[in-house]
Amino acid sequence: PNSQFLFFEFSWYFFELNVHIGGWSTQVLQILFPISSLYNASYFHTRLIVTVIVLCRKMVLSTNFNLSHLKDELRLCALILSYSPKNESTWSHRRWVIKNLAQHLQDMPELIDKESLLVKDMAEKSKMNYRAWRHRCWLIPYMKTKQVLDELNKSKKWAELHVADNCSFHYRRSLLLALLDGAANREDSLICQSEAYLMWKEELRWNETLIRRYQGRESLWNHRRFLSQWWVQHLLSCEETSLSNESLADLFLSQEIHLLSDCLGAPGDEFGETRVQVELAALYILWISEQDAAVKGKVEERLKSVGSLKEVLARACPEKSRLWTHLLHC
Amino acid sequence: MGEQGELAAEKHVRYIVTAEKKKDSFESLVMEHLRASGAYWGLTTLDLLHKLHAVDAAEVVDWIMSCYHPESGGFGGNVGHDPHVLYTLSAVQVLCLFDRLDVLDADKIADYITGLQNEDGSFSGDIWGEVDTRFSYISICTLSLLHRLHKINVEKAVEYIVSCKNLDGGFGAMPGGESHAGQIFCCVGALAITGSLHHIDRDLLGWWLCERQCRDGGLNGRPEKLADVCYSWWVLSSLIIIDRVHWIDKEKLAKFILNCQDKENGGISDRPDNAVDIYHTYFGVAGLSLMEYPGVKPIDPAYALPLDVVNRIFLTKQQ
Repeated sequence: PNSQFLFFEFSWYFFELNVHIGGWSTQVLQILFPISSLYNASYFHTRLIVTVIVLCRKMVLSTNFNLSHLKDELRLCALILSYSPKNESTWSHRRWVIKNLAQHLQDMPELIDKESLLVKDMAEKSKMNYRAWRHRCWLIPYMKTKQVLDELNKSKKWAELHVADNCSFHYRRSLLLALLDGAANREDSLICQSEAYLMWKEELRWNETLIRRYQGRESLWNHRRFLSQWWVQHLLSCEETSLSNESLADLFLSQEIHLLSDCLGAPGDEFGETRVQVELAALYILWISEQDAAVKGKVEERLKSVGSLKEVLARACPEKSRLWTHLLHC
Repeated sequence: MGEQGELAAEKHVRYIVTAEKKKDSFESLVMEHLRASGAYWGLTTLDLLHKLHAVDAAEVVDWIMSCYHPESGGFGGNVGHDPHVLYTLSAVQVLCLFDRLDVLDADKIADYITGLQNEDGSFSGDIWGEVDTRFSYISICTLSLLHRLHKINVEKAVEYIVSCKNLDGGFGAMPGGESHAGQIFCCVGALAITGSLHHIDRDLLGWWLCERQCRDGGLNGRPEKLADVCYSWWVLSSLIIIDRVHWIDKEKLAKFILNCQDKENGGISDRPDNAVDIYHTYFGVAGLSLMEYPGVKPIDPAYALPLDVVNRIFLTKQQ
């Protein structure tokens, strides 16, 4: 701590001297950041960055509006974020710059692509980074339908490699909701609608393969809760029936219960992940049945082969008994 | 040495008092830009442990006021730092602890905050415009403590917070933002203070919150994250406000918090065997307070101040 202390005091003095002489410069940061990183001093970065951002804003407001100045700001932000990926004032400053750029830029899609890529890089180094992913979600309203679909496709691989990163699945949910929103509100609403249906169906299928492959991953099950919620409502309003003349909603619910019984029947493992999988599966079924009285009835009916919902929950998650006894009124 | 699961209150008091005195210590240096909040965390902890008198009230009040910007009506994080709502709330809370709200120009502060409310009902943190539901809570809490809540558009403020509600029952930093226990506390606290809890689906939110309890008994802030002592506050206070705290195992949580203490040097860390800091010391003690741990004063879950302080403010009306 003593040498770190001296380093910080010196760095701060050096930084303030530089500011006093001729304004901050990227070069100063390029010297300070790597050295303080050796000390793993992210908190020092925060203090430094807060000052830098305030100076940035004052400078940008004081000079004449200039596209190249704004682009410099983006570069500075990227530098800061590479050392301090969670720094909210930097992300916020970045958005402020982009909002200003958006008014003058023709190639917004390209800018959005670059931003998305930046977040992806940040997310690699700093998992579950709320601020970075929030930034990525912030870009969605600027996207046209085609870009939303592209993003869903492009971010799929990353999500697969980081199944415990809840942020990336939240991003996917935001993209899917944007499709639904487009289906209601945009000129290309019919395309949005059919695309939404296809993407949702595919997302459910993909999510199930991941659930079966990676045991006990909460973010995967949470994602499924979200997907099922809309999907069941959509199917209930559908008049089609399946080949066996069952309604599509009934068929879907049967499939979900099949997933549950597969989880219940799986052999235990040394890491206890099977146990977590069982708990998550049971809570998932509880989740679906709580959505809607009609759905609850259908779920209870199909569960009979496995046991009542109460019995399943008692076996799978006894520690959560206060939660489900309240919900099941028992 | 005493029981394994005991609160080393005296050690924590000494840790805080020493940290407060050593203004040029390592931790002080690192926290320099948010010292006002550090003061709130440290002093509230002292009060919860019945030791607020261990510091010089006049000195603290003077220092807090030196962070005040009379032109704007806001407080900075330290002397000479630009004003921000974060530190304005911390300053007001500290003055509440010492019952010294009389030194404030309450109307001026109210104007500062009112000026930060946007058209959609949201609040910015400062003149640079960053919006976050944290700032909604901060603004509402500050104004309520100053008896000036009516100065903002409360209906719009509530509308904005409700627009940040997600399908899983939780709340994010802005509309569509991922549910996060810290943001949830801010939204639930703000809705509680404005008498708008009916907007919350208590079962749904309670469900999301009780799933934050990990195998080790600690609470996390989002799915798949590690338990962290600070969530003992954000999650617990939210559960208490919506009357679902019985859905978690409080005993296990208390054990987790106690395991995060440094029983030799004082202070509490984010998880067992990590370095301590003032922030986690406060949240650990506050969490224990919510669970009525013996020897710790009760704390108000919405205002995050000792209950007797809050009662003093609201039961004996001040100007």
